[in-house]
Amino acid sequence: MRKRYTNLDPVTLLTWIALVVVGLSAIYSATHGPSSEFYQFNPRQNFGNQITWLGICLAGMAVALLLPVRFFQQMAFPVYGGTLLLLVAALLFGREVNGAKSWLYIGPMSLQVSELAKVGTVLAVAQVVGMRRPKTMDLRFAFILVGIIMLPASLIILQNDTGTALVFFGLVPIVLFWSGLDLNLLLLMIAPAVAGYFAIVSMPTAILFVVLFVGFMWWRTRDRRISMVSALMTGGVVALANVAITMVLSDYQVQRILSFTDPGAEQFRQNVGFHQVNSMAAIGSGGWFGKGFLQGTQTQGGYVFEQSTDFVFSVIGEEWGFLGSVVVLFLFAVLLIRLLQLGANMKHPFGVLIAAGASGIYLVHIFINIGMATSLLPVIGIPLPFISYGGSALLANSALLAIVLSLHLRRDDFSIYGY
Amino acid sequence: MDEGRSRLRIFMVLIVFILGILMLRLGKLQILERSSHTGQSVNNAVREWRVQPPRGRFYDRDGVLMVDNEPRFTLFVTPRYFKEETIPLLATLLGAPDSLLSVRYQKAAKNPFHRAPIQVDVSFEELSRVLEQRHNLPGIDYEITQKRTYLTDARMTHAMGYVREISESALEAHRDEGYVWGDPFGQGGLERQYESEVRGVPGSDFKMINIKGQVVAEYLDGREDRAARNGLDLNLTIDSGLQAFAESLFVNKRGGVIALDPRNGEVLAMHSAPDYDLELFTHRLDPQVWDSIRTHKDRPLFNRVTQSQFMPGSTYKPLIALLALAVGEIDGAYEFYCGGGHPLGGGRIYKCLDSHGSINVVEAIKYSCNTFFFEMMRRIDVNTLHRLATTMGFGQRPYLDIATNEVAVGNIPDSTYYNTLFPRGWTQGNVMNLGVGQGEGEVTLIQLARYMAAIANGGTLVTPHLVRNMVDPETGAQAVPEMPDPVRLELNQTYLQLLREGMRRVVAEQSWWLDIPGVPSIGKTGSAQNTRGDEDDSVFIMAAPADNPEIAIAVFVENAGFGSGAAGRIGSFMVERYLTGRVDLSGDRGWIWTQMFNLNSEILPDRNEVRGPAG
Repeated sequence: MRKRYTNLDPVTLLTWIALVVVGLSAIYSATHGPSSEFYQFNPRQNFGNQITWLGICLAGMAVALLLPVRFFQQMAFPVYGGTLLLLVAALLFGREVNGAKSWLYIGPMSLQVSELAKVGTVLAVAQVVGMRRPKTMDLRFAFILVGIIMLPASLIILQNDTGTALVFFGLVPIVLFWSGLDLNLLLLMIAPAVAGYFAIVSMPTAILFVVLFVGFMWWRTRDRRISMVSALMTGGVVALANVAITMVLSDYQVQRILSFTDPGAEQFRQNVGFHQVNSMAAIGSGGWFGKGFLQGTQTQGGYVFEQSTDFVFSVIGEEWGFLGSVVVLFLFAVLLIRLLQLGANMKHPFGVLIAAGASGIYLVHIFINIGMATSLLPVIGIPLPFISYGGSALLANSALLAIVLSLHLRRDDFSIYGY
Repeated sequence: MDEGRSRLRIFMVLIVFILGILMLRLGKLQILERSSHTGQSVNNAVREWRVQPPRGRFYDRDGVLMVDNEPRFTLFVTPRYFKEETIPLLATLLGAPDSLLSVRYQKAAKNPFHRAPIQVDVSFEELSRVLEQRHNLPGIDYEITQKRTYLTDARMTHAMGYVREISESALEAHRDEGYVWGDPFGQGGLERQYESEVRGVPGSDFKMINIKGQVVAEYLDGREDRAARNGLDLNLTIDSGLQAFAESLFVNKRGGVIALDPRNGEVLAMHSAPDYDLELFTHRLDPQVWDSIRTHKDRPLFNRVTQSQFMPGSTYKPLIALLALAVGEIDGAYEFYCGGGHPLGGGRIYKCLDSHGSINVVEAIKYSCNTFFFEMMRRIDVNTLHRLATTMGFGQRPYLDIATNEVAVGNIPDSTYYNTLFPRGWTQGNVMNLGVGQGEGEVTLIQLARYMAAIANGGTLVTPHLVRNMVDPETGAQAVPEMPDPVRLELNQTYLQLLREGMRRVVAEQSWWLDIPGVPSIGKTGSAQNTRGDEDDSVFIMAAPADNPEIAIAVFVENAGFGSGAAGRIGSFMVERYLTGRVDLSGDRGWIWTQMFNLNSEILPDRNEVRGPAG
């Protein structure tokens, strides 16, 4: 046994540790800086709580590393089912926090079950793909996968936690990509979302994107029908977005959607754009090297809303500057790519899907979270993996990581029937 | 290799691509747009507190501290972060009425991000109570400002000036010198004249504030802070004891006095009555109090030392005598017959107080014989008088280092003036009144004091000034303010001696009660008619000790009659006080002293028009 644990992937483990340390330091700065005496008790205890949660995570990860491959495969559906039940339970008995009814209180612990649902969903998807006979990827199978993902997602939407649900939507193309869906179909699925984003940010860019995308599809396939469909889907979304913004949606909704494109504008800065203005001020004023640990004026002044949770990146950007931000991005890149490699090494669809799913989920979180903090995207309240304060998220993300590590450790145990 | 490999590569590219987008975005914010975001963050979270240095202190000529500073606190509210429901708590801590704070808050709330004062003049105890509760009082902070304190009995109201928050117009004019809203600014007097010296250099204290407007920490551990530099201390030439004494003598009198050291022009005391309490201006001034000062019929804001212009009366006679001697019309032995009036006009137009008989120039000064000086003026061309008087500083703007734009010039008429006054022509008879200091001429107290000093010191026209030097309290470096050099007049010493002899007899014999026991002095009384038709103004000039003068004084009391009355007594007692350090009230001087307080300026008739600075 001892010999086997030396096979534990050190790169993943070290980057995980590095990210957690970065996160703890950022949470510490946001809650125990020179100005902390002015905070209410609640945010100040975040740091201690996170340490506690880290302990729980370490224990959970150790347990996961002891478990055999078969356990994860067998437990995939029960865990998925369990998380669905928890979601329903939260919907029925949960407590509302920040408008979202996604928290279950068990004794002193508060669980954001939607975070745990990610683990169950990835497990379930991986198990479905793993059980599949090779080369049977078709639309029907794709619908089953999408269904597995959308079920918890819709429960989460019912909980009024759109941000977390969005992560599940982001998971869909990733899972389909890894389960072998035709790339053209995948592109057709993703392109309308990108076109929609551009339609909100800049109409000329959106139109340019539509033209380029149709041209690209034509160049790829030389298929008139696919090109037509791609033109219809992307162009349709652009047109719909335009119509929605100018005619259908109320002013308030339009403002909310548009605010991130220029949060500092007169009509936004006092309300919906306020947090992003302050977040950008924090990050931008960090400059090349940042203002130093516990020296960020925005951070220490408490100007950024939710700065130990969703806007934690503003602390890093302000106090550690561009250099620190790039280091964090680099750590994420190493971790995400390493996970893919671990998955590939397992040579089993279950392992590949778990690893790729974890990597993909992290990627979606990272993009949305940092995109929001830098006003590239609208405010969507999801945490930055391993860094943001939040026990459930840390636990869920670490659990996924531990499962990948555990599977990779015992990659020779995979039964060969899967591939 | 196969499909799986290429998908792996695609996904890796996707990861790098997405993280790359984020990196570019961060680069844009943190490198390209850094300065604008820094500006935004500094606007948000760093606030500059202006540290007002203590203004320079004022010491009198003996090193007695006259004017100092004490800290005072101003509470500010930033309405954006303030909670209106905390007003009662704040009011309780400050012992101020809710309604008052409420009104101020409402006013401030129009500009939610602008810090506005909500309570000034907060004591240290009150401030401490507020700071203890600062968790409950978001949006409240304070600044330390300096308040002037006056430590001696000498008020020196008009010469001192006072300090107020800089006015809008002054701010426009002095913005280049680094003034900002709320800075103190000297108003009038020394405080204004030496504003740039006593002001010091304000410092900056940068502090981090949180989103509720509370100060949370020093910004960059204070590395950006700039220390305030104290203003220069002024060593005044004023004798604070003499000054206080002078102020105590003007009971029920309007007028002024200025005492100089005739050797160097140092102002020993200057007082204009009535005055007002400068202490009023160290607090928030009640507009009603201010109005009552501003519109009082005795015009306390009017500085009678620098702004009053009046006819010199008989104090002018030594000048006429000097002129007659200088142009060779007379010599010391020359006598003219006084039969109670000048022959021109049959003795009824140009009258004398008495029939002095044949009288020489010394006696003429002593008795203040009008006839003699009418005759002198009859013989002297008005332009010649104009020339000498101008040389002696009359009709010239005198230098004085207090807000010089307020200093009156006086008026010494010449032929052009009379050509305008009498378009159909005029004769020497029209100007003979000038010989006795009546008629068209006007002088000021400063001019009279310099003139007295010049006679006493042998002909040097000194430069009156109130500041001897300025000292940097941190380095001890001294500086002497720039001022015009004294003017050495080429006067015949023999003639001056004749003048002094006449003036000695004025004090020693004619108005013997003005003689200071044990100190020989020279002086000249005057009573100046005024165009208002009220009682004459009482005027007096004096210098002592006669042989080596250390003080020259000019006193003027409005509508108090003869110069030997109110003005003479005030002058005599002040000189005595200065030279002997006490006032000897034994014998007749005691009676003179008591009488002095009964001599009042005639009460001004209740009418709207009062005498303006240009008379």
